[in-house]
Amino acid sequence: MEKLLQLINTVLDNRSKLKIKHISSSSDLRNDCGLDSLDLAELTVRIEAEYDVDIFEDGLINTVGEILNKLNE
Amino acid sequence: MSKVFYYDNIEGFEISYDNLFKDLSEENNYFLYCKTNSYYSVFKHIILSLILGEELILLDNDFSKEEINKLIGDENFIFNSKSFKSIGQVSFKDIQERINFNKNNWKITLFTSGTTGLPKKISHDFDSISRFVKRDKKRRDNIWGFAYNPTHMAGLQVFFQAFLNQNTIVRLFGVSRTNCFKLINNLKITNISATPTFYRLLLPPDLICPSLQNLTSGGEKFDSKTLQKLNQMFPNSRIRNVYASTEAGTLFASNDEVFYIKPEISHLMKIKNNELYLHSSLIGKSNSLKLNDNWYQTGDIVDVVTNKPNAFRFVSRKNDGINTGGYKVNPTEVEDVIRLCNGVIDVSVFGKKNSLLGNIISCQVIRSDNTLTEKCLRLFLQEKLQEFKIPRIITFVDSLKTTRSGKLSRNN
Repeated sequence: MEKLLQLINTVLDNRSKLKIKHISSSSDLRNDCGLDSLDLAELTVRIEAEYDVDIFEDGLINTVGEILNKLNE
Repeated sequence: MSKVFYYDNIEGFEISYDNLFKDLSEENNYFLYCKTNSYYSVFKHIILSLILGEELILLDNDFSKEEINKLIGDENFIFNSKSFKSIGQVSFKDIQERINFNKNNWKITLFTSGTTGLPKKISHDFDSISRFVKRDKKRRDNIWGFAYNPTHMAGLQVFFQAFLNQNTIVRLFGVSRTNCFKLINNLKITNISATPTFYRLLLPPDLICPSLQNLTSGGEKFDSKTLQKLNQMFPNSRIRNVYASTEAGTLFASNDEVFYIKPEISHLMKIKNNELYLHSSLIGKSNSLKLNDNWYQTGDIVDVVTNKPNAFRFVSRKNDGINTGGYKVNPTEVEDVIRLCNGVIDVSVFGKKNSLLGNIISCQVIRSDNTLTEKCLRLFLQEKLQEFKIPRIITFVDSLKTTRSGKLSRNN
């Protein structure tokens, strides 16, 4: 979870958006974390570089919990 | 009550056709350039230009000051206007008559990413921009979800299709997923034309939108899994792919990946060495487009399926343009800007495959020393380039990959 927060904040910081302090499984990537489609695409690349998993391979995911499930598959 | 012309959930207003006509009647200053973040203002400006038979030049609202200066010479030109006698109260029928009367004087100009250097300037007259607009009674009640930037060709095509049939336009571009569903279902949107990325962002199909009758997508084609999910989400909708470009507008539509050329335009296109060529009469006017004996080389590599009727499928793009979420990015233009940043020795910009956007803009940079950070480079680029052109993945390297001819390799 900590690593994922760090990756999300890297993406937010790259767009000069405000970083977030914490996330939970139910956090919505767009509404709670403030990520748009370009940000989500960047996040997939950063997660893939870190975990070798393409989180959007099977369609869109909306929450932090869904990313964690994908990484634990 | 008058029909709604435009509904904008982000700006929080709706405008009826009567109020649009009233707004138009109050105008008495005409600006050649249009640069605004208000979709309604763009639409109103286009309609006013049609009524007056004046040229209109559309600029993306997020063009930086430097980009504007390069494109039009001086950003202050945007504020130049000329006064005209108010057109008075008009009806939709009056507007149609004025458009017909003035259409030979009218043209609209927009900018598109070229293959080298700056964006290309392309102008269209009324006939070329409305060539594929279908107008009939059965389309009178269509409600369009507007999912493109209004200053880009795809957005203009949707606008003309909707406006010339006096339809309602509902903004979906920049709207959150939840609100998109609310708007589609509450306002009973019947037609949406958008990029594959827009549709992917609506998935998974946990909500059903029964009102949609026509879903159109351009650019990359859908994979079968996405298509299946879209069919679940829009059970009553026909799903079509279109081939469109800023140079030519919409040319072909298809229910799958095979495009059939209509007999009436088949003499205006040819395929040579697997590349699609279009006759100059199909494309807009531009000094930066190269024509050879009146034929324009599209850079699209196609595979002929049948000769009679003419049918083909797209294989790839010949040139270097990177398609990212429906936007075309010219890597040379981005590289030229990155090289202006202090501390950059050389750079290579390329598209990296991405399941959400098709491609994500990436770059490798050779820097003179470690004082140039990713953050510094991004801040530099934010002032100079439109957001979608800024590389999302920046890597610092010691040397750039080159092809055997010594050119930068983009196949990363």
